[in-house]
Amino acid sequence: MSPLAQTLLDALHALLEFAPPLVLAALGGVLSEKSGVVNIGLEGMMRFGAFFAAAVAIGTGNPWLGLVAGALAGATSAALHALLSLRYRADQVVSGIALNLVAMSLVTFLLEAIFGSAGVSPPSPQLPRIFGHSALTWLAVVLPLAMHWIFTRTALGLRIRAVGEHPRAAATAGVSVLKLRALCVIGSGALAGLGGATLSIGILGQFDVRMPAGQGFMALAAMIFGKWTPLGAAAACVFFALAEVVQRSLSLTFHAADLHLEGLFLALPYALTLLLLALSRGRTRAPAADGVPYDPEGR
Amino acid sequence: MTAARNCFAYQLLALKRSLVLSLAACLSVAGCKKPLPPHTIGIALDVGGRGDQSFNDGALRGLEAMAAGVRSTAHGYETLSDAEFQALLPADMMPVSHLPIPSPLVLSGKAQEDYEPNLQLLIDQGVELTIAVGFMMEPAVRAVSARNEKAKFLLLDSPVLDAAGKKPVTRANVRAVTFREQEGSFLAGALAGELTKSGKIGFVGGMQLPLILKFEAGFRAGVRAVNPAAEKNMLVAYTGTFDDEKKGVEVGGDLYARGCDIVFHAAGLDGLGVIKAAERANKLVIGVDSDQSKVAPRNVLTSMVKHVDIAVYQAVADELEGRFTGGDQSLGLKESGVGLAPIGGDVIPAINNEAKAGAIADVEKLRTAIVDGHIIVPGTIAELARFTALQPETFGLNNVPGEIAAVPAPLPAGATSPKPTAAPAKK
Repeated sequence: MSPLAQTLLDALHALLEFAPPLVLAALGGVLSEKSGVVNIGLEGMMRFGAFFAAAVAIGTGNPWLGLVAGALAGATSAALHALLSLRYRADQVVSGIALNLVAMSLVTFLLEAIFGSAGVSPPSPQLPRIFGHSALTWLAVVLPLAMHWIFTRTALGLRIRAVGEHPRAAATAGVSVLKLRALCVIGSGALAGLGGATLSIGILGQFDVRMPAGQGFMALAAMIFGKWTPLGAAAACVFFALAEVVQRSLSLTFHAADLHLEGLFLALPYALTLLLLALSRGRTRAPAADGVPYDPEGR
Repeated sequence: MTAARNCFAYQLLALKRSLVLSLAACLSVAGCKKPLPPHTIGIALDVGGRGDQSFNDGALRGLEAMAAGVRSTAHGYETLSDAEFQALLPADMMPVSHLPIPSPLVLSGKAQEDYEPNLQLLIDQGVELTIAVGFMMEPAVRAVSARNEKAKFLLLDSPVLDAAGKKPVTRANVRAVTFREQEGSFLAGALAGELTKSGKIGFVGGMQLPLILKFEAGFRAGVRAVNPAAEKNMLVAYTGTFDDEKKGVEVGGDLYARGCDIVFHAAGLDGLGVIKAAERANKLVIGVDSDQSKVAPRNVLTSMVKHVDIAVYQAVADELEGRFTGGDQSLGLKESGVGLAPIGGDVIPAINNEAKAGAIADVEKLRTAIVDGHIIVPGTIAELARFTALQPETFGLNNVPGEIAAVPAPLPAGATSPKPTAAPAKK
């Protein structure tokens, strides 16, 4: 195989390996915000998902049960966010930040309490690999398309969008705004939890205390960069991951370490993102009612 | 009325009782100042924490297992049996029994800003010696040791610096232990240089800091010493963090995809990711700090071990015997402060036992040469630039790859004994 083809193949391989956690979490973000609930707690939900996926996989020896536990853990923490921001109409940003902080401390505590380690969990069973990648990789490939189809072609998708754009109009048409929003937030948590599980039982085969190391925030950025659409968000995630692949490849090719330019190269993906954001034109608009609490009694 | 007064009196009594109770509770619970049993030792870990299978775990092994003879479990400390205790000791350490100290106090820092309060907390608890693990602790030790002149400290991996954080200084109450990592890394490099099949060797560092550059410089010098061609081909990458395992998998995966068959990592938690990448690529990896062969027995060729455990044990033993002194200690191959873990890793079929045995013999010769001062291993990239390949016959190496014959061997005239090779040579 020619070197160029090999390089491209390696890049594709790296993308399929490392983009899925980001893609799944970003899709979670899209689902929640499309319905009008800001979800800044993606990072925390990923963390819960990553930890419980690993813990259950280690406890039962079955990675699939771990996967279910990861999704459930993400969904449960999201349910809390839904309760606070929908039922009690708390500020959605504050609720999300609180969730992140709780996830940071609680999971660290649980790691020590259960595994007696402040660093890493014992190795966990890993998800089987299909065509060289974990099953979640393929989920992350299919899901953006499926979500796009749901949002644009189904009544459910229309309702979700309506609830996020103009909840009162949707309510008039007989849609239960709060119920639908709650479902979307919980689904969002499940997706973020799956993203976390991809990290722990998909890629690494263990949980480490720093997970997900900012991936949740990257997912949030990808969602905005992708203009709150499933395809856009997934494309943005692929772009982020690709930028990192290119950065590593460049810094090896140019021996950045020897030139003491490693720091500069490491900043490349972020600089590139900023540049693209600044240059990208056109309609970048959040759903109109994103972050606005809905009061059925209000006007 | 009297009933009411009685009731009030009763409440007061209850209040008093609960106060007494809480005072009693306070005496038994950490948090109030209470005289500790003699010789209590405290240790403050850096962000790697317990379970990093690396530097922190090494220090903990020295204190908990070797010094106190206990093992940490989720339910507190358990005493080790004699057999378990003996099994823990490094092969080159005299059999000893553990020291008469109670269970140590362990605090784990979650972030840079935790270090200072953690150290102060240990001192407030009345520990006799406070151990600070890792160079990231240096600013905290600098501040806390100045405030508490009577407290004693062991700082691992860094000297104490002056107020500006530039120049190393010595403090009477701080023993600062640093390691000559370049020496152990040199041996790792020589081993890799002799055993590589693809002629491509990789190095993964965490952040590009002077400490990590010591590993890189020593490792590259080791490869250059026995296999200059492989050193030219070498791939060096830095992940930019010490706590993102996924980055380690990515960067390690890149190096193996580009043809490296042996990669040495000095990247903390990221390094565990590099080992994961080696497992996935079915290639070899060299671990760091502690013997990491347990992480992936088939893939970990060896580990560049820093005997933090021995340094910790020694400091505790010194303290108990009243011999503890402040000042700087530098531990290298000569002091058994660094070294290679037992060679394992049998994934690459082409590396047969014969080749391994030859390489191990050569590494041993190089070790002796370093201990005797015949080779001075570069500890910075600038020193590395002046380091030239060895002449195989100088040290009687028998397993050197063919390329070495192509290197001109200008032995200084009249050289009968091996010469230091780090002497500046024009290149």
